[in-house]
Amino acid sequence: MRITFSRPGSFLKPSNRRPFLLAVILCAAALVAGGCDKVVGPFEVLPPLEPSTLEPTAGSWRMIVLTGPSQIAVAVPAPVTSAAYTAELDAIKSSQANLTSTQQQAIAYWSGGSVMRWNQILRELVARYNLPPAPRDEGGYPVPDVENPFGDPAFPFANPVYAARAYSYVSAAQYDALKSAWYWKFQYNRLSPAKNDNAITALMPVSGLPSYPSEDAVISGVTVEMLKTLFPAAVEEVTLKAAEQRNAALWSGKATASDLAAGLALGKSVATVFLARAAADGMRTAGGSAVLWQALADSATTRGEIAWISRDIPARPPMLPLFGQVRAWMMTPADIVAERPPPPPSTSSQQMKDETAEVKRTVEHLTSVQLAVAQKWNDGAGTYSPPGHWNDVALEYVRDAKMSEVRAARVFALLNMAMHDAGVGCWEAKYHYFNPRPSQVDPGIKTQIGIPNFPSYTSGHSTFSTAAAAILSYLFPSGATSFAAMRDEAGISRLYGGIHYRSDIEAGKLHGARIAGYTLSFARSDGAP
Amino acid sequence: MLLRTIGTVAVLALGASSAAAQTIDDGLMMPRGTLSAGVLYTHDSWDQYWEGTLKRKNGNIGTLTQQSLTWIGGYGVTDRLSLMAAVPYVWTHASQGVLHDLSGIQDLTFAAKYRLLATAPAKHGTFSAFAVGTAALPVGDYTPDFFPLSIGTGGGRASGRLTLSFQSTSAWFVNASSAYTWCSNVRLNRNAYYTDGQLYLTNEVAMPNVLEHTVSAGVNRGRWRIPLSLVQQRTLGGGDIRRQDMPFVSNRMDFTKLGSGVMYALAKNLSIQVSAAHVLSGRNVGQSTIFTSGLVYAHHL
Repeated sequence: MRITFSRPGSFLKPSNRRPFLLAVILCAAALVAGGCDKVVGPFEVLPPLEPSTLEPTAGSWRMIVLTGPSQIAVAVPAPVTSAAYTAELDAIKSSQANLTSTQQQAIAYWSGGSVMRWNQILRELVARYNLPPAPRDEGGYPVPDVENPFGDPAFPFANPVYAARAYSYVSAAQYDALKSAWYWKFQYNRLSPAKNDNAITALMPVSGLPSYPSEDAVISGVTVEMLKTLFPAAVEEVTLKAAEQRNAALWSGKATASDLAAGLALGKSVATVFLARAAADGMRTAGGSAVLWQALADSATTRGEIAWISRDIPARPPMLPLFGQVRAWMMTPADIVAERPPPPPSTSSQQMKDETAEVKRTVEHLTSVQLAVAQKWNDGAGTYSPPGHWNDVALEYVRDAKMSEVRAARVFALLNMAMHDAGVGCWEAKYHYFNPRPSQVDPGIKTQIGIPNFPSYTSGHSTFSTAAAAILSYLFPSGATSFAAMRDEAGISRLYGGIHYRSDIEAGKLHGARIAGYTLSFARSDGAP
Repeated sequence: MLLRTIGTVAVLALGASSAAAQTIDDGLMMPRGTLSAGVLYTHDSWDQYWEGTLKRKNGNIGTLTQQSLTWIGGYGVTDRLSLMAAVPYVWTHASQGVLHDLSGIQDLTFAAKYRLLATAPAKHGTFSAFAVGTAALPVGDYTPDFFPLSIGTGGGRASGRLTLSFQSTSAWFVNASSAYTWCSNVRLNRNAYYTDGQLYLTNEVAMPNVLEHTVSAGVNRGRWRIPLSLVQQRTLGGGDIRRQDMPFVSNRMDFTKLGSGVMYALAKNLSIQVSAAHVLSGRNVGQSTIFTSGLVYAHHL
């Protein structure tokens, strides 16, 4: 027997036979590879923002934390006829004469609208920091340390409720800062440099909105100060981004140096007020202690229920068990308790057995459509979280409505305050009842997505999503049908994933709707037309 | 096999008559008119993996096992040109934690292997060179968004391979083979993902291309073929798995793997093979130990 790979007669002689089939295969291969454009996209495209209205009354819209629009004073600007102002205009002209392509790209980027841009950046930060600590080799888990944010684990662990709070603080602070800016803008009525000097080209859409203090600088100042506290390890990049934003406003003929300086100072001052609130809102102690964790379990056991146990290996301490006591935006602590959902079905009840069986049946016979829904709304570790998903949804509506910066800020503030309150309410219920996940009750249940490390009842996704859909439906009535469909999909996705019972989802939706009612009451009476 | 499989075709073996098996990266050809078919069973498991460059265990995975049953077929169009195809059924299982098993039909691979040249038999042996073109497309409806349990990447691939082979008159052989694989973009069921230090606001994932080098040597005599091989895969892009994150479809997956096996012709038309391989080092892959066994039947038309 001989191997068959070499035969006399074909040595070094070019084949006369055209390797036709090889060519066919290579062509097929090229077709497969032809789809290999490595550039992915499109991302969220933001065309140059040309607001449909200037919102001249925004300075009188109701504040969230500030006592009023003039709580932080903005000094009278120099007259446009002054030498100082003329020198500022000359500086813009000289910048415009020598714009590099990097500077032009910065102008194009920020012309998309700075509230929306910072929302994208915030979602990226959440996705980056939304990772739980890795277990120690010797057992147990380290705790993210605000004093060592660059370490392992990094600080923060931007889990769903940390994220909800972060989105809400940034959005609410931006909103109050912009209302104050609008107040001063229409007090002083100093137009933009491109309007004051026709030798300056408007490289971004420049409206008749007064430019002192600069809204870009206000947003950059307030946002960076909030982010430095919420995501301290990102200080370098957010500081650079903010400086780029202010420069882009200057280079584009939208604001002068003094417009920017006044805006930056206002933004930073507003942030100080919000950070003082954040420092005392209960977040620092929301992790609880080993004594508390045991007390939660004992409380459930005493009621005759099966207490929740972490499904992580090794078992991980419960995620922020005292987040339910963190200060809400529109609800008092008494409101939070009053709105708590009724108890879940007893862990020993027939209903619980039936619902557990439903979860098992669902994951074992999952269709590809159901899997797609579970994955679409998974928003688990490493992602921008469920609140981030709803910011993603909202952004397109904000963009398409061509909203002014202050009105865009209102949308994100209302949305994120409602979701923060939903997070607080949901966590209060989760740790009050301390109910086990389906895969704890029946270890035969395997999940199609990662399992969150906190009790089951109620579903956070359902609570967040119902609150978000209610706010967005109020703000964008034309999208109400779509928001409702997304809300329902987000809720049921947790059953498809095998991590929630149906009653978790239903109770979470009712709870989320009640919680959204508080923010809706505010929105209906905040003076915004 | 690994956190992500780069085409089962890499180990695709096609029997021919006598002791000669044929794979896409060896120095063998099926004779003209030979039709072959067979099945391969592969058992691949690991309990440690590299999270980026950090080697670790994970209590939520335990031991990850991926098994596959692959149908393979081939046809010798001429003595210089063979066509090959393979399609595996794959199932994965984590021994610990709550994550669900996945299983299904993975990707259909076609390959054409063409012998570019072969020298005249000389005193010491014969030198030959081969070009191989491969195309692979998913045929099953599986998810690429559940690694390490996903059974494949869910994307198309095309690769070009060049192999140099020397077969001595005294039965030993040595091969060197390199392949470049283009990978098409992959679509997820979600509209945002974070990888390689960036948030992507799209459902489309750019997949890095892959370079693979194999050197093998062994004995090819009578009914026996006994190769020893070293495979190195380098992924030309992609991000590392972040600390305590799940793996992602486009991670940079590199490894060096040492393997050996035996192919034996049971009869004129029937051969069996068993082989084992172990990942020596890697990045964003599991430290797999892989066992393969197979049976191939060849028919001369």
